[in-house]
Amino acid sequence: MEQVVCHTDELQPGEMMESTLGKHSIVVCRASDGHYYAFLNRCIHQGAPLSKGKLCGAPAPTDNIGEYNFEKDGDILRCPWHGREFDVKNEGRMLVNEKYKVKNFHVTVENNQVIVYN
Amino acid sequence: MIIDTDVHERVLYEELLPYLEQPWRRYIEDCHWIQEKHMPYTQPAVAGVDRADARIPDGRPAGTDLAFMQEQLLNANSHEKAILTGALDPSPSSMHGWYEMATALASAYNNWQIDKWLDQDERLYGSIHIAAQEPQNAVKEIERVGSHPKMVQVLLPIDDKLWGDPYYHPIFEAAQKHNLAIGMHHNEPPLYYGKWPKYFIEWHTLIPTSHMNMITNMVFNGVFDKFPNLKLIMIEGGFTYVPFLMGKMDQQYTDLRHEVPWVKRMPSDIVREQMLFTTQPLESMKKKDFMQIVDQMGSEEIISFSTDYPHWDYDSPVEALPPNLDGDFKKKLFTENARKFYPKF
Ligand code: FES
Repeated sequence: MEQVVCHTDELQPGEMMESTLGKHSIVVCRASDGHYYAFLNRCIHQGAPLSKGKLCGAPAPTDNIGEYNFEKDGDILRCPWHGREFDVKNEGRMLVNEKYKVKNFHVTVENNQVIVYN
Repeated sequence: MIIDTDVHERVLYEELLPYLEQPWRRYIEDCHWIQEKHMPYTQPAVAGVDRADARIPDGRPAGTDLAFMQEQLLNANSHEKAILTGALDPSPSSMHGWYEMATALASAYNNWQIDKWLDQDERLYGSIHIAAQEPQNAVKEIERVGSHPKMVQVLLPIDDKLWGDPYYHPIFEAAQKHNLAIGMHHNEPPLYYGKWPKYFIEWHTLIPTSHMNMITNMVFNGVFDKFPNLKLIMIEGGFTYVPFLMGKMDQQYTDLRHEVPWVKRMPSDIVREQMLFTTQPLESMKKKDFMQIVDQMGSEEIISFSTDYPHWDYDSPVEALPPNLDGDFKKKLFTENARKFYPKF
């Protein structure tokens, strides 16, 4: 199935919104590069609604103790409860372990409409 | 059905004003007194120490609004009962001076809690806040509100004082007399040599160590032998450390009993007979691992489910536990162990 979830103007880079796709609650994110990404709105840990979290950045892994290189601002979806970090531009994979991911959906933009597919 | 053994309601300081006499009132109203808070870390989770979706829609902090708590927690999860454990802000027993003000704050807090929460929702039960630094005044407060049918425990922070010292025993005597349990919850900074570690993740990882300090202190200072009907619930330290501590205390007691001849039972028996542990924050475990720990405790009856709502490390009643736990055991975990533990239930 496919569904129009919003007009392109409704989300600025770094913003996200809750929507539905059929019977699923989903979260639509607009990353820093202006592209749109959609995920199941349910954290893989204990099921928190991810749309209530934060689209933010994260300090990059580093070899230097005490060094914080904040990066990917607007690309990291952070859960509202226990704060796990999911990279929206990397299929919703968890930063701490890429094996785990939030379910992602295919997204296209046509005529300024953001369309999500399942 | 759930009896949730750790739910944090929060007071805004101005809400305490109607419950405070002068001169205490003016220290908040005119001088903007707030209890010293030291956490040196930046926000650990998305919304500080709260669940980001638990902030009240009008902008007030999480835990300050009963209607919102009803919607998000009590009704959503079919809570049978929830035990309010405060936000440790203010935490009268943690004040480093001015115990008279601490005593006044404790009374104000208890009255506020009864008015705004316990009397408003039959599912809610409360914790008596005291200023334990002065046990005689603390006892007066327990005498004053201890017979309230919905006050089920006396709250003591795990802080820089070890409450097992005989100096504090009048508090336990009063609690036992009024069928109140003692609830202990860590406050800041209760561990790491009495100081803060460098990172929040260290502090949060090691919270159970502060619970271990306190249990060991209470057991070997003879509190449970002196007050055989006293119950102690350790809140928000989890339970996976308990088998280790039971074994370690038993081993030490076997060798060193001569130092504490007032202790007359094996410490592990004391733990099983007089204590309860709340489950949150749960590590992710498979059923087999979970039940192994329960087995090592030698009892299915000393752990009780808690959410820690509205804090960031909340445990969901439907998602946090391993799937497929046996029905009878689940019933104990969710309701029956707490029901059996609290003298007032
Ligand atoms: S529910 Fe998302 S991190 Fe725990």
